[in-house]
Amino acid sequence: MSETPCRDVPLQEWTAALAAARDEGFDFFDWLTAVDETDAEETPGFDLVCHLMNSSTGRGALARVLVRTRVPNGQPAPSATGLWRGAAWHERETYEMFGIDFAGFDDGTGLGLRPLLLPEGFDGTPLRKSFVLASRASKAWPGAKEPGEGAGGHDGAAASEKPGRKKINAPGVPDTTWGPR
Amino acid sequence: MPVDLPMPRIGAVNDDAPRPIKLVLNWGRRYSLWVFNFGLACCAIEFISASMARHDFIRLGVIPFAPGPRQADLMIVSGTVSDKMAPAIRRLYDQMPEPKYVISFGACANSGGPYWDSYCVTKGVDQLIPVDVYVPGCPPRPEALLQGIIRLQEKIASETLSNKAIRAKYAGSRRAAAGEVTRPLLSKTEVTGRDTAGVPS
Repeated sequence: MSETPCRDVPLQEWTAALAAARDEGFDFFDWLTAVDETDAEETPGFDLVCHLMNSSTGRGALARVLVRTRVPNGQPAPSATGLWRGAAWHERETYEMFGIDFAGFDDGTGLGLRPLLLPEGFDGTPLRKSFVLASRASKAWPGAKEPGEGAGGHDGAAASEKPGRKKINAPGVPDTTWGPR
Repeated sequence: MPVDLPMPRIGAVNDDAPRPIKLVLNWGRRYSLWVFNFGLACCAIEFISASMARHDFIRLGVIPFAPGPRQADLMIVSGTVSDKMAPAIRRLYDQMPEPKYVISFGACANSGGPYWDSYCVTKGVDQLIPVDVYVPGCPPRPEALLQGIIRLQEKIASETLSNKAIRAKYAGSRRAAAGEVTRPLLSKTEVTGRDTAGVPS
């Protein structure tokens, strides 16, 4: 299976690119999400990705395309709800998980962007790399992280055994200065 | 809105019965456990497997035909409890008539399991409701559930029910009434009427 073609567009042309893809025949909106690239070397931000399919491809696998743009942190992205009404749920999820605002969001209720999946009163954007998992702060990972480590190889033990190995720094795991614990 | 629930009671007959009669009542209760399966993930499949012909927990008196929580004696929470689902579990548990029992089935319902560090998974269903028997495993085999049911039956056989004890167990451990942990329902008129005045932001 070949890789899905991906079109990178500037943020200003986001809705125009989606509309162009729709006019080409990619009229089925599959999903929309974001990727946290705030630690990228150049133009840090969030990759907004939209997957579209061509529903009139005929028999066999549907033709598909990814449209991608980079949204700087704190900047709103244009909403795709004007092109596909079904984009509303995806944009609400992206909004609550990554904290990306969508300008011109309209799902027909007039209620605007609001949490979709998270429990009532949830504070934070859990799919950002900066989101701290409180459980990981209070308890070390119970087991080996890499092949070859002994069972129960915690951070300290693993680092002392293999000085050459880079210490694993997973997103969501706070360093030792994070507190209170 | 919070619902006012009456204090749980077991009835005058059971409360004043002499000891041999209580023994008989316990015996009746332990072998007619109408079960309500709170299936949330793959553990529910193992529960279904335990209820089918090969393992067949009906032979232990566990009857999986309760139409809902209001007709059930036993709730088996099988699967990953998320914080979003938590109010629903509490609500359905509160609807069950006393005496009621809970089996926590699988690692997720016991402690959060492999999702112990997740942002959205409740770290064990015992944070919401009192649990009688924990069945470990990921997922546990049907035989493990059978063992858990037998342990629960032993527990029921040895217990002495009284109004006082039952209130200590159920009402005393009630961390919140169902209404307090339930989000307000979004009614149809609020959505179609586009009236944002009454909608909590």
